[in-house]
Amino acid sequence: MTNFQHPFQCIQFLEKQETQENGSQKLLVASAGPKLYSYNAETGERLAVWPQDVDANKTHDSAAETDQAPPEKKRKVSPTAEEPVNDVKSGAKAPAWSNIPIVVATANSEHVVAMTAEDKTIRVFQLQADGTFDQLSERCMPKRPCSIALADDDRTIVCGDKFGDVYSLPLIPGNEPYVAPKLVSRPKVPAATPLTVHSKRNLESLEQQLRHQQQKKATEEKTGINFEHQLLLGHVSLLTDVAFVSLPSDVSPTGKRSYILTADRDEHIRVSRYPQAHIIENYCLGHNSFINKLCIPEWAPEHLISGGGDNYLLVWKWAEGQIVQKVSLVDEGSEDTQVAVRGLWAVSSENSKVILVALDGTSQLLCFTHEVDGSLKAQEPIETTGNVLDVTSTGKDNKIFVTVDSIREKNSTQEWRASPSTLIESFRVKSEVEALDWEAVTESPVTNINSSGTSDIVADADAKQRKDLNLSVYGLGNLRKKLGEDD
Amino acid sequence: MSAPPPKRQKREQYRKKAAAAASKDAPGHIKLPQKKFYRQRAHANPFSDHQLIYPLSPAHMDWSTHYPAFVDSAEQTNLAGARKLDRDVEVVDIGCGFGGLLVGLAPVLPETLMVGMEIRTQVTEYLTTRIQALRTQQRKLKDSESPAPVPDAADASADADADGDSETPAGVIAGGYQNISALRANTMKFFPNFFGRRQLSKIFICFPDPHFKARKHKARIISENLNAEYAYALRPGGMLYTITDVEEYHHWILRHFREEGDQPSEGGVKDLFERVTEEELERDPCVAVMKEATEEGKKVTRNKGNKYVAVFRRKADPEWS
Repeated sequence: MTNFQHPFQCIQFLEKQETQENGSQKLLVASAGPKLYSYNAETGERLAVWPQDVDANKTHDSAAETDQAPPEKKRKVSPTAEEPVNDVKSGAKAPAWSNIPIVVATANSEHVVAMTAEDKTIRVFQLQADGTFDQLSERCMPKRPCSIALADDDRTIVCGDKFGDVYSLPLIPGNEPYVAPKLVSRPKVPAATPLTVHSKRNLESLEQQLRHQQQKKATEEKTGINFEHQLLLGHVSLLTDVAFVSLPSDVSPTGKRSYILTADRDEHIRVSRYPQAHIIENYCLGHNSFINKLCIPEWAPEHLISGGGDNYLLVWKWAEGQIVQKVSLVDEGSEDTQVAVRGLWAVSSENSKVILVALDGTSQLLCFTHEVDGSLKAQEPIETTGNVLDVTSTGKDNKIFVTVDSIREKNSTQEWRASPSTLIESFRVKSEVEALDWEAVTESPVTNINSSGTSDIVADADAKQRKDLNLSVYGLGNLRKKLGEDD
Repeated sequence: MSAPPPKRQKREQYRKKAAAAASKDAPGHIKLPQKKFYRQRAHANPFSDHQLIYPLSPAHMDWSTHYPAFVDSAEQTNLAGARKLDRDVEVVDIGCGFGGLLVGLAPVLPETLMVGMEIRTQVTEYLTTRIQALRTQQRKLKDSESPAPVPDAADASADADADGDSETPAGVIAGGYQNISALRANTMKFFPNFFGRRQLSKIFICFPDPHFKARKHKARIISENLNAEYAYALRPGGMLYTITDVEEYHHWILRHFREEGDQPSEGGVKDLFERVTEEELERDPCVAVMKEATEEGKKVTRNKGNKYVAVFRRKADPEWS
C-alpha cells in the first residue's frame, strides 16, 4: 500500500523576470505538511524543498533535486508541539511545526512570505532563480497569525492574528538592530488599593501582594516582540482575513489612497485607512456568520466579495459599505445546509473576469463571472477529484492549478480514502462564448508534480493523529459560535 | 437538590409579583424594582460567545420599542422593518450597570436619546424594569396634574435597600424618562452594529471593570484598538467621559488617549482626541451627574475613595497621509 502524503495546503504561481537570455521563469510554490516546495510551472520538475532534510547519518545529499524525499521523521503533529521536537536517533532536528497554512508571494516574485503554524513564525524567503528558498528572516509573532497581506508596494507585511490584532512589519527588516521602545518605567505597584478593594478576601490578597512585592524587587522584564513592528489596529474577535487595496484619488498627492480591510469571526468587515489605520472609514455589515475570506479583484478594486460561514457571498462597494448583491451558494430548497467558504479567487482570462469559490470539504469549484455592474453570474462549476484546498491562476494562458485533498474522501473532511489520490489538477478555459466552460488539462506539470509527491504521513496514523491532521486542514468549523450556558 | 435554590426561587416569585402588579395598572404608587433581586457577579468575560441579540447593522436596529415617544410620525421603516425614530440615539453609557447615570442625565438632556449598554442580563433587566416604572410614575404624576405629590414615605423606605433604591423623583421631570433606555450588549465586540459613523455626541464609561491583573488588561474597555471604534462612532466635537476610582486605571486611560507627561504623543489613535480642561468640566453638568449619580460613584463616596475624571473631545480626522 502506498503511503499517504501531505496534500498541498497552499499554492502560488509566480513569474520571475530573469536576465535577457532566459526571459521569464514560471514557478509554482506550494506548501504541504511542514514543507515548502518549488516547481518549474512548465515542466512540473521539482526545484527545491524547504527545510532541506538534514540527516547526519546519511552520506548522500538528500536535498533538493532528489525525486524521492526520504521518509519523514515521525513527529508530533498535535498543535501543542510548542517545545522543540528533537529526533534523538539521527540528531536531525525535526521542524517545530506540522504545517504551513499561509504562503504569499510578492508581485515581482522575488520574495515568498510563509507562516509556520505551531511556532507562529513569519518567514521571509528570497526565491532564487533555480527555485531554492533562502530564508532571510524569521519573526515569531505573539499570537498565531491568521492572515497575511502585503502593503506599500510589497515592502510591508500586514498580519492579522488570532487575538484580533493587526501588525505591520517591514518585509526586509533594516540592518540596525531592533531597539524596543523605552517603556516609561513604572514602579510595580498593585493597581488595587484599600480604597478600591473592600471584601475581606480581596483585602487579604492585596496585603499579600504588597508583602510579596517587598520581598522581591521586580526583576523580570517582560519580553515583547523583538523586531520592528507596529500595531495597526485590532478587533475584539479572531481576525480571519486582511486585504490591502489602493484606489485612485485625484486629491491625493500620490494619486491614490490606500485602505486596509479586516474581517473577523463576529461578522464584521472593517475598512480603515492605511497607514492611519486608527481611522475607521466604515464597516461592511451584512453577514450572519463568521467571515473567512475577502476577495478584491484586481480588475475592480472598488468591489469586494466576502464569504464565510453563511450560505451566501456578498458583493460590496466596500468604500460605501453598500451591498451590491447577495449570491446564494446553495440550491433553492436546501437553504438549511451549512457551508463554509474556504477560498475565493479572482481569476481573469482573456475575455472573462472570474470568481472561483471553494466550499470547505467539497470537490466542486464554484464558478461565477464578475459582470461590469459588479454582480456575479453563476456558471457551471468545475468538478475535481477531491476536496479543493487552494487555487492559483497562471494569468495569460487561461489556466488554473487546483490543489486537492489526496487523503480524505471527496466531500468529506473526516473519512480517509482507501488509497491516496491526486495532489494537483489543472483546468483551462475551453470556451467563453455564452457560458464559461472549463476543461481538465493533463500536461506534464500536473503529472510530474503528482508523481514526485510530497512528504509521507506516518503510515500507521492512529485515529487521534488522523483527527489532528484533519483539523489542521479543515479548521473552519471551529469559527462557528458555540452558544452554551449564558446569564 | 431538585428544588431551585432559594435565591432563584425568591427572584422568580418577586418577578411574578412585580409583573402582576404592573399589569393590574393599579392606581397609586408605582413600585420601583429592588436591586437585591437582580444582583449579578461583577465580571463578565467579554471574549466568550454570549447569547446576544444585536442588529445586523445600525440600519437594522429597532429603536422604536426603546423610545416609543420618539417614533417618527411618518410611517417609515428601517431595513429590519421597524418604525424609525424622529432623531438618532446619540448618547451611550457603556457598561451602564444599574443605570444611575442615565436616570440622572435624563432630565439634564430631555430632548436627547440616551442608551445604556450592559453585558450582565440580570442588571439589564433591572434597569429596563426601573425605566419602565419611572416612565409610568411620570405619566401618572402628569395625569393627576396635582402639584408634585409627596411620595408615600413609608412605602419608599420599605422599597429602599442600602444602595439607595429609594430615589423617587420629587415630581414631574423634564422628558419623563422617555429619552433613556437600556439594552444588553457586548460593546467590545458589537459597538459598530448599533451605531454608525459619527452618530454619537457623547460616550460615557463610568467606573469600568479595572481588570487588575496584567494578564486581563486585554479585557479593559479602554484600549487603543477600542478607542478607534469610539472615534468612529463619535462626531467631531463629541465627548468621551471617563471616571474611575482606580488611580492606575486613570493613568492607563490617559496613556491610551493621550500620552502622559513628558512622553510626546506619537500619532495613532491619540491624534483623534484631546483632553478637555478642568475649567470646561466644571461647567459641564454631565460631569457632576457622572460623579454623584452613578451607583458606583455613590459607593465610592461612601467608602471615601477617590474619583478620577478624564474627558476627551473627538477632533476632526487629520489629513490623509
